[in-house]
Amino acid sequence: MTRYLLDVVENRSIGEYERAGGYQGLGKALSMEPGQVIEEVKKSGLRGRGGAGFPTGMKWMFAAGDPKSPKYIACNADEGEPGTFKDKAILDENPHLLIEGMAIAGHALKAELGYIYLRGEYLKEKDILETAISQARASGYLGENIMGSGKRFDVHVHLGAGAYICGEETALIDSLEGKRGQPRLKPPFPVNSGLWGSPTIVNNVETLANLPFIVREGAGRYVRIGDPGCPGNKLFPVSGHVERPGVYELPMGTTLREIIYEHAGGIKNGKTLKAVIPGGISAPVLPPGLIDCPMDFVSVQKQGSMLGSGGVMVFDEDTCIVRVAHRALEFFERESCGKCTPCREGTGWLRGILERIETRQGREGDIRLLEDVSKNITGNTFCPLGDGAAAAVLGFLMHFREEFAEHIKNGCPFGPDDLNPYHYNPVQP
Amino acid sequence: MIEFVINGKNIQAQPKTTILQAALANGIYIPHLCWDRRLLPYGGCRLCLVEVEGMHKFLASCSTPVKAGMIIHTETPKLEKARRTVLELLLVHHPLDCPVCDKAGECDLQDLAFKYGPVASRFADERKHEPESTAAPLIERNANRCILCGKCVRICKEHQGVGALNLIGRGFKTKVSPAFEETLDCEFCGQCVDACPVGALGTKSYKFRSRVWFMDEQENICPYCSVGCTSVLSLRDGQILRARGKDGVGISKGDLCPRGRFGFDFIESEHRLSTPLLRKEGKLEPASWQEALEFTARRLAEIKEAHGPRAIGALGSERCSVEDNYMLKKFMVLSLGSKNVDSRTRLGYAKQVEALKKTFGISRLALDLDAPLKADVIFVLESDLTSTHPVYGLKALAAHRDLKATLIVADPRESKLSRWSSQWLRIRPATGVALVNGIMSALIEADLFDKKAEAVKGFDELKKTLERYKPSAAAVMAGVSELDIRHAASALAAAKNPMFMACFGSSENTKGEGTALALMDLAILLGRGPEALGLPPEFANTMGTQMVLEGGETGLDAVEMLYGGQMKALVIMGENPVVTFPDTTRVMNTLGGLELLVVQDIMMTATAKLAHVVLPASGWGEKEGTFVGMTGKPQKIVKCLSEIGQGIPDWKILRNLGRLMHTDLDAKSFAGLSASALADIEQRQETAHPVFIPVEQETRESADGGHPLLFATGNLMQHSGSLTTISNNLDSAAPDAYLQINPSDADARRIYNDSFVKVSGRNGEAIYLKARVTDEVPQGMVFAPAHFAHAKVNLLTLPSKNGEAPIAAVKVDPA
Ligand SMILES: Cc1cc2nc3c(=O)[nH]c(=O)nc-3n(C[C@H](O)[C@H](O)[C@H](O)COP(=O)(O)O)c2cc1C
Ligand code: SF4
Ligand code: SF4
Ligand code: SF4
Ligand code: FES
Repeated sequence: MTRYLLDVVENRSIGEYERAGGYQGLGKALSMEPGQVIEEVKKSGLRGRGGAGFPTGMKWMFAAGDPKSPKYIACNADEGEPGTFKDKAILDENPHLLIEGMAIAGHALKAELGYIYLRGEYLKEKDILETAISQARASGYLGENIMGSGKRFDVHVHLGAGAYICGEETALIDSLEGKRGQPRLKPPFPVNSGLWGSPTIVNNVETLANLPFIVREGAGRYVRIGDPGCPGNKLFPVSGHVERPGVYELPMGTTLREIIYEHAGGIKNGKTLKAVIPGGISAPVLPPGLIDCPMDFVSVQKQGSMLGSGGVMVFDEDTCIVRVAHRALEFFERESCGKCTPCREGTGWLRGILERIETRQGREGDIRLLEDVSKNITGNTFCPLGDGAAAAVLGFLMHFREEFAEHIKNGCPFGPDDLNPYHYNPVQP
Repeated sequence: MIEFVINGKNIQAQPKTTILQAALANGIYIPHLCWDRRLLPYGGCRLCLVEVEGMHKFLASCSTPVKAGMIIHTETPKLEKARRTVLELLLVHHPLDCPVCDKAGECDLQDLAFKYGPVASRFADERKHEPESTAAPLIERNANRCILCGKCVRICKEHQGVGALNLIGRGFKTKVSPAFEETLDCEFCGQCVDACPVGALGTKSYKFRSRVWFMDEQENICPYCSVGCTSVLSLRDGQILRARGKDGVGISKGDLCPRGRFGFDFIESEHRLSTPLLRKEGKLEPASWQEALEFTARRLAEIKEAHGPRAIGALGSERCSVEDNYMLKKFMVLSLGSKNVDSRTRLGYAKQVEALKKTFGISRLALDLDAPLKADVIFVLESDLTSTHPVYGLKALAAHRDLKATLIVADPRESKLSRWSSQWLRIRPATGVALVNGIMSALIEADLFDKKAEAVKGFDELKKTLERYKPSAAAVMAGVSELDIRHAASALAAAKNPMFMACFGSSENTKGEGTALALMDLAILLGRGPEALGLPPEFANTMGTQMVLEGGETGLDAVEMLYGGQMKALVIMGENPVVTFPDTTRVMNTLGGLELLVVQDIMMTATAKLAHVVLPASGWGEKEGTFVGMTGKPQKIVKCLSEIGQGIPDWKILRNLGRLMHTDLDAKSFAGLSASALADIEQRQETAHPVFIPVEQETRESADGGHPLLFATGNLMQHSGSLTTISNNLDSAAPDAYLQINPSDADARRIYNDSFVKVSGRNGEAIYLKARVTDEVPQGMVFAPAHFAHAKVNLLTLPSKNGEAPIAAVKVDPA
């Protein structure tokens, strides 16, 4: 198996990276016409790794087709979703891969400036990136005349301020512009009117990190990796009750079972699997019976969930699902931007109901109420954050309805939460 | 046109129309809370959801444009359920304190809850417990009632161009607040209050005053500037409790500025006059109407007898109605045989009228409020239009922001317009003529002007004058770069529909008649007629007053009467020259030396204090009348309050006086009087014939070593003349005069922010003001608002002669 994303580079030095073939993709891209690069990316079938799986080549084509200039490249490194820490691995271990990817995108889009919108907590990564950027400038991969091509491209790092919503591409752009990060109305899409009203492509770190390989090795080779419908490697950050949590680079389409049992070493302490969230907290939960599902955008969706970021969260038999659901909704409530009514008010409502169920104050009809509120949020929110919250609740209810009913009747069978007693104390300070 | 179907009805609309707009235009109501006609779609409240066949999700109708063939449903059981849920969600945290909320009865949330309710609240959660924000003047915020529709934030930023409010915090904790939760400090236009669909924003003056259903509504024309906005008054027990803009009503269509929304309370000021006053043994004492009028009639007759009618003059008022001014003129001509009637327009609006007469041969300009929206390049010359004519100024902002018009602002002072401009030419104070001459010279040099202009009379003289204003030379005079001048010239030359905007306010001293002439020359050079000029008259009835008083033959003008020293008696109606005219000392000398000073006014002004007779008049709201504002179309003002004390309308005072003097002024009824007054001014039909009138850059004074700073006076958005200073509301927002001074000038003099300074003029006078150290004024310039009587700003100002800008040079020291 080829690993091209987390091919760990000693000391993150640019020299090591170059020796391993680094910046050859950029060199090759610069020898091509921008349109050819976009063609190559289209042929590669690369789909965005930020969660929605949008075909990258198509996104670029839309932006390239807009007559307005300048154009901007925005790298989405906000990575704020619980269960997701894959971009961090690239930033920590292979920052030049991202820089090279952005420079290739810059050439393809005829953009001269790129921004990395970095999660506010990633301070260490900020230093790593800034060092790497200055190395790249010093070596002529960024700056006025990149690799002697006469082309100009530079990258700046912009630190977020800790709001999950700023990972949503239009909120990210508002935040980059110095405004309050809140999703914008689409259309116009960022490819036509993004940063400062200019055509902008927003791509995830991992998406951009795929580009050096695609350009260097050619789309023909890339499409033979992973799933034919969705080629390439995918990073799977695995967390929870497994023996070896961590980030795994595996071909797209690897099954959940293989990820959990082969790569992550199976369930911790020999326990059995109770539930798994396949793609970060907004992806509905799956029961053990469905873990033979290949991890690609289409297959996971068929099981009623989504690949999302690929963040695999594993829960063993001792986990209280109501507690997981409550914790998830706490996140959504706190991170709702506040723009639209269903999400701002609905997430809090859902969290409140889950809280009373968990703390033995559940009422008859609460399950139906959860369902009803979630269904009325679904599809009616301004952006997918609220949808994600509702989908998460509906997922838990679909597969673990009995457990909710049991809680309402007899209280939580799992005892107090020793991991986080504060949150589950019914009488909160 | 796009065709589609809503609820089975075939409908057509222009491309880009949203579903909500199309539905509302066709009488189909879709509930909505965060949409406003003036704002970009937001899509936050999610109440306006509709079903479109073939779409798997509901769509927010406020932010979805119609497409051909769409089949839209706005009322289905599923939608009803979704809307009910949204409302339920909004009500979960709502305090439901309707019994003590001033919005109850006209609250969108309450109305919708009524329409879709009753909702059995399936969830009860902690309500918000934010303290009310009451520290700011005029506007209070109650975050607990806020439904976070964001309209206030957006109206302030998008529409007003201010951005004083934003949403802070996230999710459920989101709230509306100024930056860093500081106390609101803004323009206090109150647009946000009107926009708020619930009771989260309110005004101090209306708080707990009445339930809405006990009040009557009355539309009236705003008494302040010439825009002529319609302000919708809420009345109870003979009192105005509030004024609001109402969507679609009047030419302002719902917009109002601080004055229009908050300035109504001047009418109940404690300084109002309630009886006639007569000077007895040196003191003004209450008198009966009979006594006062008989005295006045007798003295006027005696003075006319002794000195002839030319020794008697009158000042009308831009604050009074067309009818009042018409009657004043009639009284002077018929009862006294004097043609000496003029008004303060002489110091402001008359500059542009004189210039119009000379260049285009016309005497008035009827403006279209929306004209800036049709322009592609807007040139604003030394005018803070968003302060003097706020609702008109907004159009220039909107043209630039929404319609991408190029906005070129030439002004030494920073203003809202300069902040938003495409090009800010920060010229030296009162050098508008040099700049415009420079632009014209650049146009001729680059052969960018309209060739028709060569045939216009005066073209050769203009060219000759412009020899001295080559862009390089003009750049030095105006203090900008040559490139800037050329840049502005080519932008103007490329314009398909340029517009030239400025206002000539009576208290502004940076522009003279010359400035107006230069601007008009520029328009003609670019092949444009008067329709390209956006020069609004100053006050609500400035145009009406000027038309009435200048109709027919005229005698001495206001400057000649007040500074000429020939007057023996003056009748002053609704004007306060002691405060509002330049060179206060000379004005006081003139007034003090009169044998008879008759003042008709609504309040005890500084001028009234010098009078021999003071006659109490009814004010705006207490009488019927007509105003002619910038559109040139008469607008009726309505009587909705009863008169105070013995006050009566000015026209009635004059009619009564006329009767005592045995002249029939033919005013048996108001309707008859109004008809003849309007007939008089509506007769004129004028056609423009352009002529170039070249002008030189000239100012009344220039700075030198002894008086190194140029002293400009002007207007604040919150005030209008000196009238608004008796409005408690506006006084609370902008209570005092100050002197803006640039940090470098302040440093050099050891002047600190908020410290007192002494400002001394060449005329030997000095005034004391609080310093406001700010780079809103450039080095070498100081600025003071002219509204405040106690600040005595006009001790230092000068009446203008010969068309030059009357700016004064001063010296500023720490006090
Ligand atoms: C609430 C929300 C949070 C998101 N957070 C992230 C994020 O942290 N990182 C990311 O790459 N994309 C995130 N996205 C997806 C982006 O909006 C966008 O689709 C993505 O950056 C596109 O990049 P791609 O085409 O390379 O996948 C988020 C979307 C939503 C709705
Ligand atoms: S009063 Fe006007 S300027 Fe002040 S916050 Fe409201 S809209 Fe903005
Ligand atoms: S204060 Fe009023 S207008 Fe502003 S967000 Fe709240 S409800 Fe909307
Ligand atoms: S002062 Fe002028 S802009 Fe303000 S409300 Fe009155 S008419 Fe309108
Ligand atoms: S009016 Fe459409 S979402 Fe608020």
